[in-house]
Amino acid sequence: MDQDGMPTPAAQPSWNTRVKDNRTELAPLERDAELMLRVRDGDQASFGLLLERHRGPVIHFLYRMVQRQAVAEELAQEVFLRVYRSRGTYEPSAKFTTWLFRIATHLGLNWIRDGRAESREESLDKETSEGATRQVADRTRTVEQDMVYRVKLREVRRAIECLPSKQRAAVLMHKYEEMEYSEIANVLSCSESAVKSLLFRAYEHLRSRLAHMV
Amino acid sequence: MGCPIEDDGGHELILAYGANSLSPQQQIDLERHLGTCASCREWAEAQRAVWTALDAWSPTVVSTDFDERLFRRIANEEQSAWWRQLSPVNWPWRSTLPVGVACAALIAAFLLKNPALRPEAQAQPQPKLQIEQVEHALDDMEMLKQLSIESASDKANPSEKI
Repeated sequence: MDQDGMPTPAAQPSWNTRVKDNRTELAPLERDAELMLRVRDGDQASFGLLLERHRGPVIHFLYRMVQRQAVAEELAQEVFLRVYRSRGTYEPSAKFTTWLFRIATHLGLNWIRDGRAESREESLDKETSEGATRQVADRTRTVEQDMVYRVKLREVRRAIECLPSKQRAAVLMHKYEEMEYSEIANVLSCSESAVKSLLFRAYEHLRSRLAHMV
Repeated sequence: MGCPIEDDGGHELILAYGANSLSPQQQIDLERHLGTCASCREWAEAQRAVWTALDAWSPTVVSTDFDERLFRRIANEEQSAWWRQLSPVNWPWRSTLPVGVACAALIAAFLLKNPALRPEAQAQPQPKLQIEQVEHALDDMEMLKQLSIESASDKANPSEKI
């Protein structure tokens, strides 16, 4: 136990260690649903593997949704907590990533809807510079190129931010997660034609704001 | 090939062209059309520009302690779940508690409204009754005592009676 009364990770073998130990054993079973079924059966190493596979995409998706790194990570923690809590009742009826992104989208949309993005306007300036720094640094850029990049990034972020939340989610899944229309439809619980319509309107808006950039 | 902008589903084709996700044959057909149709060309170029612009937003670096925080939360949650099982909040008769409290409140209210029914009100005459009972009991004992003395003297001197 640590000072806060929480169990220390050292008290039992680290999950990351166990992931590495079992990686060769689990190699043929790398499909998400099978891993999740193993988690259901009490294999925590499989949860570690799932986390390793999907942590990045989920955090990046949420970051682009809410535009705050700390909030995105907090929401992503909640996503994986919910996945872990649901392990007992998990049935592989839908694609794992669809389920995962449905939880993530739900949390992201709720966060936006609840108006917790009130001070987003103020934070955007701070976050843009912070975000630009946090993004994988390109050391070959000159100072001028870096400034141009920052301006460009700011415009992209503002354009995405101006989209209605559902359109935003659809564009982020389509552009950055490379999801099919049917998968986006499943995540957003709507029809494929509704997704096409959402994307058409979203890209139309983005064209009007960003087409001049290239 | 017809004009994608006029065709049903044509926008989808141009979106896919912007995302470089058309099959080689579809791409050749569309590019041939774009060579002759100015409105489609303009549309497709703008879409490509948007697609490229969005690439500027590359992924951020995830905190190194993300997993550790998550596992700590899970461990913490599992521990609290174990404690919750033992806490009185989860006891099976917990649901009857509000009913019990409500009944007690009703009884208290009823007694407050009817002072005559209060236990103290009924208990007040009791001391008087007890004193009378004690006096009667003492009288009875005195009488019995006298009777027993008389019967004892009768037994001792039977001739006196005759």
